[in-house]
Amino acid sequence: MEFPRLLTLLLIVLEWTRPGLLSPLRPICDLRVLDHFIKEARDAEVAMKSCREGCSLSESVTVPQTRVDFDVWEKKIALEKAQEVQIGLWLLKQALSLLRTSVTNTALHGHIDSSIRNLLSISAVLRSLNIQEFTPPDSATGLEGTWTVSSSTDLLQVHVNFLRGKVRLLLLDAQACQQDVS
Amino acid sequence: MLLKDVPENPKCFAEERKDFTCFWEEDEERAGSVDQYSFTYTYQNEKSNRCPLRTLRAVGGKRLFVCHLNRTQMFVQMDIQVHREEMLIFNRSLLVELVFLLDPPANVTVSRPGQQGQLNVSWVPPPLKYMDDSMMYEVSYATADSHMWQVEVAKASSKMILRGLQSGTNYKVRVRVKLDGISYNGYWSAWSDPVYMETLPEELDLLIVSLTIIISLILVVLSLTLLLYHRRFLVKKIWPNIPTPDGKFQGLFSVYGGDFEEWLGQSNGGLRLITAVLSSEESPSSLEVLSEFSLLLSSPPLPPKASRALISGRENDRNGKKGMNGRQQLEKGDSAPTEGWRAPQHDQWLMGCLRALHQDSSQSSLLESQDAYVTLNANNYSNDDHLNDILEETSPLGVLFASRKTVSCESHSDLGSVQQSSGSGRLSSQSSFEYPNHAWVPKGPGYTYMAVADSGVSMDYSPMSRADDIGKMVIYANDYKNEIPAHRRPFLPRQRPVHEDDS
Repeated sequence: MEFPRLLTLLLIVLEWTRPGLLSPLRPICDLRVLDHFIKEARDAEVAMKSCREGCSLSESVTVPQTRVDFDVWEKKIALEKAQEVQIGLWLLKQALSLLRTSVTNTALHGHIDSSIRNLLSISAVLRSLNIQEFTPPDSATGLEGTWTVSSSTDLLQVHVNFLRGKVRLLLLDAQACQQDVS
Repeated sequence: MLLKDVPENPKCFAEERKDFTCFWEEDEERAGSVDQYSFTYTYQNEKSNRCPLRTLRAVGGKRLFVCHLNRTQMFVQMDIQVHREEMLIFNRSLLVELVFLLDPPANVTVSRPGQQGQLNVSWVPPPLKYMDDSMMYEVSYATADSHMWQVEVAKASSKMILRGLQSGTNYKVRVRVKLDGISYNGYWSAWSDPVYMETLPEELDLLIVSLTIIISLILVVLSLTLLLYHRRFLVKKIWPNIPTPDGKFQGLFSVYGGDFEEWLGQSNGGLRLITAVLSSEESPSSLEVLSEFSLLLSSPPLPPKASRALISGRENDRNGKKGMNGRQQLEKGDSAPTEGWRAPQHDQWLMGCLRALHQDSSQSSLLESQDAYVTLNANNYSNDDHLNDILEETSPLGVLFASRKTVSCESHSDLGSVQQSSGSGRLSSQSSFEYPNHAWVPKGPGYTYMAVADSGVSMDYSPMSRADDIGKMVIYANDYKNEIPAHRRPFLPRQRPVHEDDS
């Protein structure tokens, strides 16, 4: 008679003390988070356009292609989409870090810093949606689906377009959010 | 066309997910053939492409040139160039996802919810994949016969509730759509066709009606309760009792119908009543002549000083205020010697005494004639000392106001000396005339007294007053500085005893 009670007690205690490290993140399906990042990226682009001095890239950088053809996009499988987005995010992080060191205009530093932070947040969002991460290659050059830009305005424009396009479409398609949305 | 608002040329817009249209217009006369124009577009980092043009005739003698693309790329910059015979006429860069022009929402339906002044509006958003949550709507409504449209905005939602509408009114509702501008952007769509719907007619809110009835009932009950509680008070106020003599005359009206004579004759009770009525007045008391002062002319004449003082005093009295503020008047006679000073005091006082009797200069004549005064004094003195003093005075002109209180008067027999007792109310005035001894027995307190002056021609009476009213006879007020008594009987001046010299 004592044994079932003890077992029950044991199970309850174990349930409470279940290790939480392996528990999955809560999926972030609200796209308003991404909209906020897009707005900040747009502000950075506008600020860069009005900059006259000390706001140029020191060297060319590789950035992801932003164009989206809906027919083509829909035919891609989820893995492909994820890969494109993850690599693109990685490339942008590299490029923006380089821009941060290149730009001497202190007014733009805040914009660039927030853009880098937002990219990291987007990576966290993708992680929460169980989107596969991709290890970046050793050399970024020669990757498919990339461009090379040499001006800071082009870089920030690519940054904005990438967030608005591929990243957003990927989040919309995320499987983890499909159950919530009817 | 809504795109007339767009300044750039050519005007371009994306319609569905892939359709893209650009156009521009030219005047018919200046337009060339369609072959002369070339439309070139180039995506970023890609090769350029040409778009086949077609032409349309428009109103107002215009010609439209249109380019249509079935497939577009979004989120990438597109450069457009239009050449006419190798000459560049238009150059424009845009992003396709930022120039959406959507169709108006379809299936706009308006329904009436249960509440008054509200309408439910719902519609079907344009069928654009990936863009449902990027759309914003404007719902415009107005009464059926007016053109004053009101606008409400809805974001990422395909229904809305309109509130604050008039009851029983026909409304028209229309909707338009636009992309919100964060990821996608564009122009406002055309308005949907208006839908008409009438709001619910006004009806009495059951809750309000019932509450009104309950509150009014409560108020009525409260007011009735108040009225009943204060019934008598209110009746007295509205219909006050008209006093009738019925109460005093028992049976006068009820039995004898108002015939007083009969009532008197018939009822002894009436007499009793009369006596009862009359008894409220003062019962007459017997008159007792206590003393009589007669003036003997054989006595030494009036000292010229005194007479002068008298005259001056009289004059003062006439000139100044009528003896009421005796202090000021007394001071006018400063020049007069002390005794003379006192004489006007006495004079004024006497005048004051007889003011009720005389209003003219006959007072002076009275004084000069040295009339006899009859004093009625019903007070009993307990102080024999004072009595002796009085006896010593033996003045023909003496008006004694007896009272219960002690008297401090002193004797002397000068005309000019007038002694008036203090606040006890006992005034004694004396003249300097010789006077045969007389006994003057004042009675006890509580009696009424009056001064009577008999000039041989007429008898004048001072007003009757009770003993305890002495202090209240203001008309004889003569303030005398040194002698004002402590208990403030204002009209009782007290004079220091004057030791006159018989001059």
